[in-house]
Amino acid sequence: MVVSGENTVSVQIKLIRKYLKLKIMEDNVTFRSNSSHHQERAHVYDLIKRSIANGESHSALMIGPRGCGKTTLVNSVLSQISKEVDVENDAIIVKLNGLIHHDDKVALKSITAQMKLENVVGDRVFGTFAENLSFLLSCLQSGADRQCRSMVFILEEFDMFCHSGRTQTLLYNLFDITHSKQAPMCVLGITNRIDVMELLEKRVKSRFSHRHIYLFPYEDLEAEARGNKPKSPLECCKQILVFLLSVPISLAGDKVDVVKKKTGRSKKKSISNEQPSELEEDLLPDEVVKRCNINMEQFKALDSDFLNDWNSHVQSLLDDERVVDSLEKMCYYTVNEQIFRNILFQIVSKLGTNKPYIDATDLVSIIDKTVTPEHRVMLLQSLSILELSLVIAMKHGMEIFDGQPMNFEMILHRYTKFANANSSTQTVPRPVILKAFEHLQALEIVLPVKSTDSIYNAADTTASRVQKEYKLYTLAVPIEDINEAVKNFKALPTEISHWYNNSVD
Amino acid sequence: MEELYRKIPCRESQLNDLFNLFGDYDEPLPCSLFLSGNMGTGKTLCLTSVLRYLGYKHVIIDCIECYTIKIICETILCGLNTTEIDIKCESILDFTNAINRINLNITQYQPVVLIFDRAERLRSMDQSIISAFLRLRELCNLNICTVFVTHLVYDSFYFKMGVREPIKIYFSNYNKEELFKIIFLNKESFTHHILKSHDVDYDVKIELEKPELFANFLNAFLSVFYRPCRDLIELQYMARVNFVKYCEPIIKNEIQSQDLSKLWRHISPILKTSLELLYLRLSSTQLSNPSPGKENSDNIESYNFESTLKEELTCTKTFAQSFELPYYAKFLLIAAYLASYNPPKEDKRLFMKNHGKQRKRLQQVKAKAKINEKLNTQLGPKVFTLDRLLAIFYAILEEKIGLTSNLLAQIATLVELKLIAGSKEIDLDTAKYKCIVGYDFISAVAQTVSFNVRKYLYDFM
Repeated sequence: MVVSGENTVSVQIKLIRKYLKLKIMEDNVTFRSNSSHHQERAHVYDLIKRSIANGESHSALMIGPRGCGKTTLVNSVLSQISKEVDVENDAIIVKLNGLIHHDDKVALKSITAQMKLENVVGDRVFGTFAENLSFLLSCLQSGADRQCRSMVFILEEFDMFCHSGRTQTLLYNLFDITHSKQAPMCVLGITNRIDVMELLEKRVKSRFSHRHIYLFPYEDLEAEARGNKPKSPLECCKQILVFLLSVPISLAGDKVDVVKKKTGRSKKKSISNEQPSELEEDLLPDEVVKRCNINMEQFKALDSDFLNDWNSHVQSLLDDERVVDSLEKMCYYTVNEQIFRNILFQIVSKLGTNKPYIDATDLVSIIDKTVTPEHRVMLLQSLSILELSLVIAMKHGMEIFDGQPMNFEMILHRYTKFANANSSTQTVPRPVILKAFEHLQALEIVLPVKSTDSIYNAADTTASRVQKEYKLYTLAVPIEDINEAVKNFKALPTEISHWYNNSVD
Repeated sequence: MEELYRKIPCRESQLNDLFNLFGDYDEPLPCSLFLSGNMGTGKTLCLTSVLRYLGYKHVIIDCIECYTIKIICETILCGLNTTEIDIKCESILDFTNAINRINLNITQYQPVVLIFDRAERLRSMDQSIISAFLRLRELCNLNICTVFVTHLVYDSFYFKMGVREPIKIYFSNYNKEELFKIIFLNKESFTHHILKSHDVDYDVKIELEKPELFANFLNAFLSVFYRPCRDLIELQYMARVNFVKYCEPIIKNEIQSQDLSKLWRHISPILKTSLELLYLRLSSTQLSNPSPGKENSDNIESYNFESTLKEELTCTKTFAQSFELPYYAKFLLIAAYLASYNPPKEDKRLFMKNHGKQRKRLQQVKAKAKINEKLNTQLGPKVFTLDRLLAIFYAILEEKIGLTSNLLAQIATLVELKLIAGSKEIDLDTAKYKCIVGYDFISAVAQTVSFNVRKYLYDFM
């Protein structure tokens, strides 16, 4: 099949764009075969499998920084298990998220709903949390046709369940049940706080199995065990890039042209020799397809030649020096895969009929924008001259007095001293200057002392009796940012930059 | 699409970004966006017009109106489906449940966008709320995207535990040329504004409607106003006020509309004076009611207005006079000011006739010059007792009067008028006061009783 005409190209590119967007945004199930966390995955798989199949009770904590693939790992394990055993009848999977269910009552309500026991509970009133939970478990034992179903609790944002101040009733009860014979249960906490153990109450801690599974990005225990050098972050980044941007050939519907397809494959093989695993591309997992309600039939319109071209194009991106450089730069700043996915999403969304290929300069600029956003400098540059003068006056004042906070009158004093010395500056009356100062306050370039939060939720308990002119403020932007902003300010009057540089008098 | 780009000038790159990110109807949306930029840079305008053009389902939540989680959730749910009337939603859990229920009704992969305008307010709520909204897409099974619109930079949102990072888009300020372009777009409304308030001849009307005239005005206007103000909304307002003034001589046939230099000479003092009213928003209704006794001439010239207005503002004189305080109350107020801004140990030297000579040592003089910044007038008022107030009052008052209840009532009046802040203490011995009016006000008051405040202020000695 030969791609001909503008129309076909635009259709093709649209389908590719849609597929890639789905892959980047929705796929939190696929565990990359070249990922480095195989050992950890096997561990988690083992735990869950044992508690479902053998009725054992376990508890474990998964700890790792944001965006290193904790949730994806668990999802992939669950999807694998669901293919192997009859999860529907053998187990109940309850997912709780600390962001939503941090309140015990809310959590219990959600547990009831996820166990599909709302009708059984009805209007029953329970004395304690434990009573309620054990009632739920006893319902499982008697009500269901089987003898007993295992429970798998997955607690995301585990640290949010360890609220300080209140008692950790939910955690206590969950961990307690893992020790009793009431029901087989697996409790898996996911968190990004390494100090999470310190948050637990003593009675909770003693019931926890102390099984920690640490996940660190780009750390490969297996490779280390074999004595190999672990892959550098850059290599991993490159792999992710290729993985997320390539489209599986098997997606294309034109099976008629088998020979051509085969040649296409072999051609591709020659290009990507060093990544053999890449050929076993997997399609979007079924869970994702089902959840998103998409019809995979539509991708049949994709042309395999076009896909081959596309994949080799993605490969060729890695040969571009600029791309490699900026990927390396990104690795210095962040190892969060979610941020990287965001970057890729932005790139993919730029694809269109008049731009059928990924532009290396686009990639570079998006990475630059994401990892080193100079938004604060830009905000400073968007100030009017008057407002900037106030910032400079404040900076000078704080230099003289060793970073002591200043009030409006002091800043005004400095500013008028400057304005009187330079006749060319337009003078504005005090109310206008006060307004400009309040604008700085709203932008949080200056912050009131004693309440580190914003001006909005500062309840003004401490400073309520002070007039606004005399309230003390500190500069909330670093000096370096001001330097940068003044240096590159467009059409800055010379006397101001002069004043800025020859500061203290 | 073309139309949209024409209606929103100078925002091409941001509009492109938004269009790209939102993509086609059947494509997944990004998890969350974060739009930041100074006030009045078109963040909400761009976002809503893009969404309206694309026809996506979207709900705008103004975080000032929706100040609790309950109101936010209920607003969103009301916006998403109009059929259900009785929506109750106490927490995020109820919200995610409800939103998933909506999902059942929606058959295809429909994009939904939630816009949190003025998102900086979300920070005053529980931290978990904004984190939950940032990853709302993971928590419910919808093709949903949350957009946060705020004038703060992302760094000002201090997240304790880190969150799922949004995609950030920055809206930079308009520069001078862009401001010109944008204000020029609305020139019809400017001329319409004039024609509505003045009845003019046909040929003058033609003159007024010429775009060159407005362009000339705008150039002059921006050359004065661009420095102290970059806020589009404020500039537009000031331009509207001043364009009327600019056109007045043309309407009166005093200056030809082609005579640019004459027009410039006419407008530049007006612009200078109105620069001083920047941000203060004195409406025209206030303009037409100047304080009684001030307006003695019949002809209401614009110049006159400007000058009186300027006076009213710059020295707060009329404001001070508008209180029309009794004679002794004025002295009490001055005494309160002096008590607030002078250190108590200097009272003897300032107010007593025979205080003895104080030798000025060089060291003292130097020390005083050094702490120029820490003047009492800059640090704010201090509290004082009633005794001290009365002592200073009698010291600065030349005649001798008795301490009557009338006099004490005056103090209560001053507190009532919020010129002095006082505690609600009934016991006069322990009551503490503080003067809360500024130097300008006091000097205006002092002038009416011909009293020199500076002479008695320690800072100015």
